[in-house]
Amino acid sequence: MSEFGGMEELLQDFLMESNDLLSDVDNKLVELEKRPDDKALLNDIFRGFHTIKGGAGFLNVTAMVTLCHRTENLFDKLRNSELSLSPEVMDVILSATGVVQDMFGTLGQGLMPQPCDPALLAALDAVLAGESPSSAQAAAPAPAPAPASAAPAPAPAQPAAAPADGGPDWNALHQSVTGSQPAAQAAPAPAAAPAPAPAPVAEVVAPAAVPAPVAAVPPPSPAKTQPTVAQAKAGGNVSGPQENTIRIDTVRLDMVLNLSGEIGLTKNRLTTLRTEILQGNHDTNTLRSLDESISQLDLLVGDLQNAVMKTRMQPIGRLFQKYPRLARDLARQLGKEVELVLSGEETELDKTMIEDLNDPLVHLVRNAVDHGCELPNERIAIGKKPQSTVQLTAEQVGDHILIEITDDGRGMNADSLRRKAIEKGLIDVETANSLDEKQCLQLIFLPGFSTKDQISSVSGRGVGMDVVRTNIQKLNGRIDISSVPGEGTRMSISLPLTLAILPVLVVRVCNQAFAVPLAMVREIITIDPDAIQEVSGKPTIVVRDEILPLKTLAGLLGWEPTQKPCFGVLMQSAEKAFILAIDSFIGRDDVVIKPLQNIRPKGVAGATLSGDGSVVLVLDMEDLLSANEAGGGTRMSELISI
Amino acid sequence: MADKNMRFLVVDDFSTMRRIVRNLLKELGFTNVDEAEDGQVALHKLKTQHYDFVVSDWNMPNMTGIELLKAVRSEPTLKGLPFMMITAEAKRENIIEAAMAGASGYIVKPFTAATLEEKMNKIFQTMNK
Repeated sequence: MSEFGGMEELLQDFLMESNDLLSDVDNKLVELEKRPDDKALLNDIFRGFHTIKGGAGFLNVTAMVTLCHRTENLFDKLRNSELSLSPEVMDVILSATGVVQDMFGTLGQGLMPQPCDPALLAALDAVLAGESPSSAQAAAPAPAPAPASAAPAPAPAQPAAAPADGGPDWNALHQSVTGSQPAAQAAPAPAAAPAPAPAPVAEVVAPAAVPAPVAAVPPPSPAKTQPTVAQAKAGGNVSGPQENTIRIDTVRLDMVLNLSGEIGLTKNRLTTLRTEILQGNHDTNTLRSLDESISQLDLLVGDLQNAVMKTRMQPIGRLFQKYPRLARDLARQLGKEVELVLSGEETELDKTMIEDLNDPLVHLVRNAVDHGCELPNERIAIGKKPQSTVQLTAEQVGDHILIEITDDGRGMNADSLRRKAIEKGLIDVETANSLDEKQCLQLIFLPGFSTKDQISSVSGRGVGMDVVRTNIQKLNGRIDISSVPGEGTRMSISLPLTLAILPVLVVRVCNQAFAVPLAMVREIITIDPDAIQEVSGKPTIVVRDEILPLKTLAGLLGWEPTQKPCFGVLMQSAEKAFILAIDSFIGRDDVVIKPLQNIRPKGVAGATLSGDGSVVLVLDMEDLLSANEAGGGTRMSELISI
Repeated sequence: MADKNMRFLVVDDFSTMRRIVRNLLKELGFTNVDEAEDGQVALHKLKTQHYDFVVSDWNMPNMTGIELLKAVRSEPTLKGLPFMMITAEAKRENIIEAAMAGASGYIVKPFTAATLEEKMNKIFQTMNK
């Protein structure tokens, strides 16, 4: 099986590198719309297609070579000012990059991509021939115009005319240049060399160039002439294949190697010490050495964990760079003017999290453009500048990563959100009226909530925000909204740096230790039995004017409490806050969660070992709460902390 | 025949392509291969280390293959170094430009190990004349 020219093992490398390259090209294309005459940009984009084409050629991916070749020729003309960049030309180019992206997806599954839609090739050829792509569509059924328009300029050197199949005979060309001119290699004599050379070359090129205009005209295709079809598809496909390989800075890898070597040395030292101790040598020096070695091991293991974690860290920019194009395409489709501004691309995050973040972020960027940003004339009417700005930022705040998507659009109106939720039957009027403005914003996370009356093809299917929130929570993260009507909306996502190591608070209830994720812990309070008030039959405690439900951990687990709870942990998840009543604390710890094999007790995420070697169960609070809700209690009242 | 231990410098900005060329050279029995990601890096390496053969891409950022070739040929110690241009440039002017700048050979992507060997042998023959 050598479908890829015997280079299967290079396929993954090629895809990874080319995907980056294409994302870069995509962004440069968005830039290019602002500065269509920027030669450096045109050059970079040209080189991007050129490089992808070169790699694809070695892998025998003819469909990609054909497509990249034409796109590259197009950029060659653009950078030589033989063509100018119109919005129509841009659309054709963007469709082409979308198709190349799709082909990467196909290749990622180990399949050979199908030849690309002849209509797209026709559009590219038409642009190359200096026509507008729309006229090519009109002319498509009658293939005559294309060769005719190419004919007036039958320059033999015309690069655009070179077809993918039946190209010039390079061997002959090579011989004609170097073979007939051996002097040119041994002792370059520039004056003499070029003179005889052009003649034989021209002969070889000429016959190849003649059939080109004909070959370049694809069979007319009646369907799907609009480049926008491919474009919409490209937007949905930005995530591409999941990468199974990772690129690591060699410095980081060397650090891991170095540390594991040092740990080995310390282990040897400990082995020697063990022998000594077992032989009855307990003198102060031996014990001091033991103490030193263990301290050293402690330090080294900590460093090693950090170093290993760092190998998994990737800049979030690799994800961000896909979005300007996404925002641009969507804005264009909706007739809006939107600029996506990125910052903090260098912020590093665990690789697996970066992959899992893509879908939520795509959704939020789309939402910002679709729901947040107004149409240019609406903006002008209220005194804003016609172009909206959507900011996507990332930064590390302490041991968390904060990602924010901010738009300067119409913002969210608490009343209309409330009304909508009632109309959709998601909450009753009574609940709705008891919600304050911030709580109203949280309504958009309810399953089935959609703020758009008309379902658009891009967003607004109403399956979005609750899925976004669930995905973020799966990463132990949190999403918050703030919005000012008329000024804009900000979505803030807060994530831990890694999923490998989880900081937890270890608590004790019924004489057993449990770990709860520290990310959810807001504060710790002592429970004064007199402060517990009953609100509609449920225990609550007022903490700084906030009425919070009180849930005992024993109760959530379905256990009989062995004592009155003394302490409360104020837990905050995405939209609900509550107090978890426990017996006592053990402390905070960084743990590695091990999944439980074959059993999945409700509310338990996994187990870990404590310092003394005993097993501690790590609780999944969301799971535990939903299990509790299923056994009674109204959904809304718990979902929105009343 | 060519010495299998001769030292190659493969110049390309696309690391996958460097690996491809490296693999093809390995197929031909040449294992002493170093890499550079653009003309600038390559020129620095060529000036500070010894190489027997350069295989360079044309289109690269910072310093293109043709600029590298010209720089190499203008360097007294490097002007006789075998220099093969690898590119997808499908233009007649390019071949002539490369020949004029003193390229020892010119090969068009994609190519097989056999093609590479053929082109290299041609260069070795010319050198031994």
